[in-house]
Amino acid sequence: MAQNVVTPTAVKKVRIMPPMLRGFLWAGIGFVLLNSITAAIRPDVGHPFFTEVSITIGWIGGVIGWLLGVGAYEGMILPLFGVTPRIQAATDWRKYFAFATEHKVVGLQYLTSSACAFILAGGIAMAMRIELASSTLYFFAYSDRYLSAVGIHGTIMMFSVATVALVGGLGNYMVPLMIGAKTTVFPRLSGLGQWLIPAGVLTVALSPLLGYWTTGWRGYEPLGSQDASGVIFYYLGVAALTMSSLIVSLNLVATIVFNRAPGVTWARLPMYVWGVLTVSILNLIWLPEIQMAFILRLLDRLVPLNLYNATGQPLSDLELFWLFGHPEVYIVVVPAFALWNEIIPVMAQKTLFARSWAVIGLIFVMMLSGLVWAHHMFTNMRNSEMFPFSFFTEMISIPTGFAFMAAIGTLWKSRYRLTTPGLLILMSMFNFLHGGISGVYLADPPVNLQVHDTMFIVAHFHYTIIGGMVFSWIAAMYYWLPKITGRMYNEFWGKFLSIWIFVAFNAAFSTMFLVGLEGMNRWVPTYPPYLHPLNLAISIAAWTLGVGFVLHAVHIVWAWKKGPKAPDNPWGGRTLEWQTSSPPPDHNFDTEPEVVGSFYVYGEHAEPVLAQPVKPETT
Amino acid sequence: MDLAIFGIVWVIISALAEWGLHRIGRNTMYFLLTNQGNIALHAFNFLTTMLTPVFLFVIWYLVWTAIRYHAESPESRPSRVQFNKNGLFTGIWITGSIALNLLFWLHPTAADLEQMFAAQLPSVNKNDLIVDVTARQWEWIFSYPQYHLTQTVTANGQDELVIPVHKKVEFRLRSYDPFHTYDVEAGVIHSFWVPAFGIKEDVIPGETRYEYIVANRTASYQTNPEVRVQCAEVCGPGHPWMESPLRIVTASQFKSWVAKQQKLQAAAGS
Repeated sequence: MAQNVVTPTAVKKVRIMPPMLRGFLWAGIGFVLLNSITAAIRPDVGHPFFTEVSITIGWIGGVIGWLLGVGAYEGMILPLFGVTPRIQAATDWRKYFAFATEHKVVGLQYLTSSACAFILAGGIAMAMRIELASSTLYFFAYSDRYLSAVGIHGTIMMFSVATVALVGGLGNYMVPLMIGAKTTVFPRLSGLGQWLIPAGVLTVALSPLLGYWTTGWRGYEPLGSQDASGVIFYYLGVAALTMSSLIVSLNLVATIVFNRAPGVTWARLPMYVWGVLTVSILNLIWLPEIQMAFILRLLDRLVPLNLYNATGQPLSDLELFWLFGHPEVYIVVVPAFALWNEIIPVMAQKTLFARSWAVIGLIFVMMLSGLVWAHHMFTNMRNSEMFPFSFFTEMISIPTGFAFMAAIGTLWKSRYRLTTPGLLILMSMFNFLHGGISGVYLADPPVNLQVHDTMFIVAHFHYTIIGGMVFSWIAAMYYWLPKITGRMYNEFWGKFLSIWIFVAFNAAFSTMFLVGLEGMNRWVPTYPPYLHPLNLAISIAAWTLGVGFVLHAVHIVWAWKKGPKAPDNPWGGRTLEWQTSSPPPDHNFDTEPEVVGSFYVYGEHAEPVLAQPVKPETT
Repeated sequence: MDLAIFGIVWVIISALAEWGLHRIGRNTMYFLLTNQGNIALHAFNFLTTMLTPVFLFVIWYLVWTAIRYHAESPESRPSRVQFNKNGLFTGIWITGSIALNLLFWLHPTAADLEQMFAAQLPSVNKNDLIVDVTARQWEWIFSYPQYHLTQTVTANGQDELVIPVHKKVEFRLRSYDPFHTYDVEAGVIHSFWVPAFGIKEDVIPGETRYEYIVANRTASYQTNPEVRVQCAEVCGPGHPWMESPLRIVTASQFKSWVAKQQKLQAAAGS
């Protein structure tokens, strides 16, 4: 670490403007610079200053300017040339608003980015539900606005919340702590990845500036290539967001493989770390694929290449999208499965049941998820193709079931503490079960051909994503809140709000199954009047759910600031993050932990986890 | 003791649910009136019958946990009973889930697919009524080549699909724009869906797709709003309004409708 040795000679430190402000400024400069160069060298005379090509290249300049401006310039570029940055690195709250490499800071930044994106895209969903409260177009001026809202909601939720919160967020924060490491292996990758999230989210959210696009989050061709120019910001925003998850996954996989403390063997690796590992491998395999698919779409539009219109092959775009698209849903939900079996043994103080099967389940879901993509396209298939994809789709429910099996075995005859996280985990299992069972119907082509592209599908995947992943995310936030902040939430309000969102969520989305079966198709701001009563009910429940999520956020922020002090290990957890003080010190552990026992064995067979304590005894 | 109570309640609620399901019977997918719709409905009901006990097992288990196993006090104390494996439970779970999924793959999936695709063989579709369906942004255009009808419309000039009951209809699905000023091949993906048919088929630019339907009763949008042609794949801002009325009529009504359309077309001079 020679380059990090600080020279004792007094280097004159300078102050700069707030990094995020500088990021915006440099982003503007980068955009204008590259846009101007592109406009200047474009051969045809009389073209406008802003064209789709110049905006695309200008956007790349903008993102690079943003990343450098928020601190990558001092954090990555200057050290590369052996220059010691002269700016004062913030040590107070300001460090959270600049490029950072400390894994806990990056984790919190990621969580904040995801939470903000969740509120933003959730707000857009609320606007959609206002529109759908009536069968006629009355809230949005025209359907292209509504369809842009659908696309922005889906894109932001998928690529900056569902894919990110449990990997870039809690993964960055918790994985090093749980494996007894002081840091991640490539901390700058995570640090950089975090700042791609706001860039991507803003790009997608501001896409209507270039024109309303109507494809939804999947961006099917050839519709995408004939849409308004806003679709370009969708392509580019996804590029930024997927790049963020890709480089974070690289860092986390490397960290889990190389940075485990002595004794944290593969057989002892915590469940949540297994979840992050499998999901990160999925990211490493499939994110480059979807990035290539989006680059092809972008080139198809800019050049144009005619890859996906009537003279090309529209279906190949769908195949490329879902080749990633189905692993994506497991990218979302695998960490949630892992969280169930991370939190349940602690809340029950009971030995984890069939741990190896639970891990095998995660790994087989990871492997099978690449073999099922075409079940999103049964409406485009012949028997010879339906048959194998239907097979793999039905089979993937077997390893998925292992997560349930382990949880059920652990809960049997336990003394389960129904704390807020404990309650939310049971709710998450309840919700995901609906998503999973409805998935068995969807795996059967004749049923699928009827309910495909209807609100039945929308209900199904919201049950898996909100019901499975978001509920588990909130559970994890409550579970690790005393770890991260050293403070405790209010048990009454935590449970009250959890029941609130549980009831509202199920009211909204179980009704959505029914409107789908009754013949309501997707991507419509208007619908035949006979569907109105149920849609009104869904809208009311959806708004209740939205308010519930916001109140959870308020409660968590309140607890963070004002909650009562929590002990270091309030739940009696055995994993390593609970063995150090709460909140953890900068270096995580005073001495390197040496693990000699299992994390998930309770009762009389429980041995000490550590050879010796890693934090000084407080007197 | 726990096992007995849990098991008995599970059996009772499963039986009650199956009884309720049996009562709903034909209406689980609301309204289907074709041969294909029957395949979907039977598959749906079979899956529901098999999955209801599985679904209720987990749901009841979660409720059971919250009622019976919740700790009275929040303090951290190990559960009294500790175990980390149970070969019988794991064995039943794993073989059960494999068996259930293999079953679903064979029935309904394999059995239904065979039935479905057998109905599409050219040899069994010699005397069908052919309807050319053209999807453009944003309109469904219906032509009946056997009757030389290029575009059938209602009295208001709106595109209209009319088919006879109990007659096999072959829909030929294409996506292009015959009215485009310079590029008739300009088109996007649509999806031809009549909710009451129980099937949808994507309509892809550059491809011709076939769908075979026998409607088994007369109906129209007025008798049930699921009897309508609806685009199910997002195809641009006009997508929400890309729908057409559909009438399923008797053979004689169909004959007189065709005659009316032919007269209309002759009068229009096309």
